[in-house]
Amino acid sequence: MPFGYHGCYLRIDVSEGTSEYVPLSDTVLRQYLGGSGLGVKLLLDEGAAVMDPLAPEAPLVFAFSPLVGSPLTTSAKFAVVSKSPLTGRINDSLASSGFAIAAKRCGCDGIVIVGRAAELSVVVIDETDVRMEPATEYRGATCRETESGLKARLGANYRVASIGQAGEQLVRYATISHDGRHAGRGGSGAVLGSKNVKAIAVRGQHRAEWANPEELTTISISLSKRSFGPATAKYRELGTATNLLTFNRFGALPTRNFQSGTFEEAASLSPEQLSTTRSKTRESCVSCTIGCEHIYTLGSGSGVRVEYESLFALGSLCGVSDADAVLRASQRCDELGLDTISTGGTIAFAMECVERGWLNEPWLTFGSADALLRVIDLIGSRQGIGDLLADGSRRAAEAIGHHSIDFAPQVKGLEIPGYEPRALQTMALGFAVGARGADHNRSGAYEVDFSDKVDRRHVTLDAVRHAIDTEDKAALMDSMIICKFLRGVFEDFHAEAAEMLRSVTGWDVTADELRETAKRIVSAKRQFNLLAGWTPAEDTLPERFLSTPLPNDPEASLSRERLDSLVAEYHRQRGW
Amino acid sequence: MHVEFLGVPRQRAGISELEVQANTLGQLLGTLATQIPPLGEFIAVDRLHSSFIANLNGDQFISDPATPLVGDDRVLILSADAGG
Repeated sequence: MPFGYHGCYLRIDVSEGTSEYVPLSDTVLRQYLGGSGLGVKLLLDEGAAVMDPLAPEAPLVFAFSPLVGSPLTTSAKFAVVSKSPLTGRINDSLASSGFAIAAKRCGCDGIVIVGRAAELSVVVIDETDVRMEPATEYRGATCRETESGLKARLGANYRVASIGQAGEQLVRYATISHDGRHAGRGGSGAVLGSKNVKAIAVRGQHRAEWANPEELTTISISLSKRSFGPATAKYRELGTATNLLTFNRFGALPTRNFQSGTFEEAASLSPEQLSTTRSKTRESCVSCTIGCEHIYTLGSGSGVRVEYESLFALGSLCGVSDADAVLRASQRCDELGLDTISTGGTIAFAMECVERGWLNEPWLTFGSADALLRVIDLIGSRQGIGDLLADGSRRAAEAIGHHSIDFAPQVKGLEIPGYEPRALQTMALGFAVGARGADHNRSGAYEVDFSDKVDRRHVTLDAVRHAIDTEDKAALMDSMIICKFLRGVFEDFHAEAAEMLRSVTGWDVTADELRETAKRIVSAKRQFNLLAGWTPAEDTLPERFLSTPLPNDPEASLSRERLDSLVAEYHRQRGW
Repeated sequence: MHVEFLGVPRQRAGISELEVQANTLGQLLGTLATQIPPLGEFIAVDRLHSSFIANLNGDQFISDPATPLVGDDRVLILSADAGG
C-alpha cells in the first residue's frame, strides 16, 4: 500500500445494515488517484452506468484523496460521485472541510453506499465501526439543523454530511451539505435521499502516513505563502461574486433565461454594492489559507454565503434585482439543500414559459422577488408547480412542449452556469462536451476566453486544444484533490502536482505521468457515459444559443456549424 | 485614453475610471503603477501579473507591452481568473 492511502474503501449496504472494507490495489490508486477519478473507477466496477440512479442498488461514492489530511492548503476536500438523477450521466461534485479529514481517518479512501434503509436513517461511522440509527426526527430539517442536531446527539467531534428537505423529496438537483458547503451539482442529494439516508456522521483517528514528511512540510509552507499573493486576491478580497460586474461589462452575464448578456440592475447585486449596506465576514474551509467565503448579513441578522453562481442564477437569470431577496433565496436553497444554479436555471425557464403563455402560473414572472422565494419552497417540497420544476428544466420542457426545449438552459440536463456561451465561445465548447453536462468546474475553458489566446466571440479550431488542457487540469485537481482557486499560484502545475504526490505517496510520479492520468480520468467518465447511453448528439447546446445572437452584441453569435466543427475537432483530438 | 478598472483592480485603485496618456500598453501600465501605488503589486515594470489581464475596447484581451494604443481607446484592467 502506498503512503497517503489506507488501501481500501468502505462499502455499506444500508438495506442490510452491513459493511465491509474492500481492498484497493496500488495500481488502481496510482491510475485514478482519488476524488473524482477514484469515484468514477468505483462506479464503473459497480456497474452503476446501467442502473436507475435512484434505485436501491445504485451506488453513491464518497471519495477522498492522498492529500486529504496533509498540511497542503485547500486539500480538505471530498468528491461525491454517482450516476446523476438529473442527467442520467456521470456526476461528480466536490465539497470541502472537516468531513473529508474525519471520514478518511475512518481508515478508508472512499465510502460506497448502496441499498435503501427501512426508515429515514443516519449512517454512523465511528472509527471502523459502522451502524445505522433512526433519523426520523430530522425529516424536513434543514442541512444545518440536521448537522447540529446530530453533533449534539453523537458528540461534537463527529463531522456530518446531510441532505435537506429537497434530498428527501428526490429533487433531481438536491445537494449533500457539510458545514454550510455543498456537493452541489447533479443531484447527489436525491441519490442519498433515495436510500432513505438523511446524513452520514463520521469520526476517526486513523491517519495515513506520508512518505516524506519533511519535504511535504516544505512544499506546504511554500504553497501557503503563495496563496496569500496576487493570484488569489480576487477570492480573498471580493470573492467569486466580483464576476458579476465584470461579466456584465463583457455582455457575458446570463440574464432573463439567457435572453440577454447584460442586466441593467447588475450593480445592485454586486459585492461592491452589497458591502456598502451590509456587514460582511470572511470564512474558509478547514485547511485553507485563501478564505474565499464572503458571508453577508441579512435583515434577520443571519448570514448568507455569497457566490457568483448563486447571485447570477437567482438574480440576473430570473431578472430579480432585489438584493435582499436574492440573498434570502440563496440562503433558502442552502437550507433546503438545492443546487442554486439548477434552481435558478429551472425557475428562469419556467418564467419564460409563463411569459409565452405556455405555463399557467401567472404569478411566476421575471423580476418578481416574491415569486422567486415562493417557487423555491414549492420545489423543495415538490408541491404545485414545484413538483414539475423539481425535475429540472429539460424534463419540464418535455412536459410543457411547444419546442420549449430550444430555450431550456441545459446541456445533457444540467443547467448552464453563469457564463453566456455566445460571448464566451471556448466555454460554449466546454459546456457542450462536458461529461456531466454544462459545467464550469470540470472545464475551465472560460480561462481561455479571458486571455489573449482566442477571440472569445469568434473562436476557431485553435481554441480546442486549450479547452482540452483546462478539462484535463480540472480532472487532475479534482482527483488529487486540491482547490481550483489555487490555479494561478502554480508556475508549472503538473510539475508541482507531481512533487506533492511524491512527497505524500512515495511514488516516482512525474508531470508527464499526471498528464496521462488526467486523460485516463476524462476517458473513464466518457466510458461511463457511453455505457449509460451517451450519443454524439448530446454534445451540443440548446437551439437558442445557435440561432439567436445576443441582442446588445451582434458579434456574440455562435452558429450550429461553428459549434459542430469545434465539437468534432474536440472528439478528434481526444481520439474518440 | 480611458482606463476602466473592474473587480480587485477597482477595489485597489479606489476609482472605477481614469484618463491616462500613453502610446503603448507597457507605458500605460507603468504610468498606472506610479500614479496608483496600490496597483503596484499587480504590475511588474510594464506587464500585469499573470493573474490580471488588460482588454482593449471590450474586444481583444492584450498582454504584449508593445501593443499600440490610440487616443480614444478604452483599456479595461481586470482579474484574469474568471472562476466562479
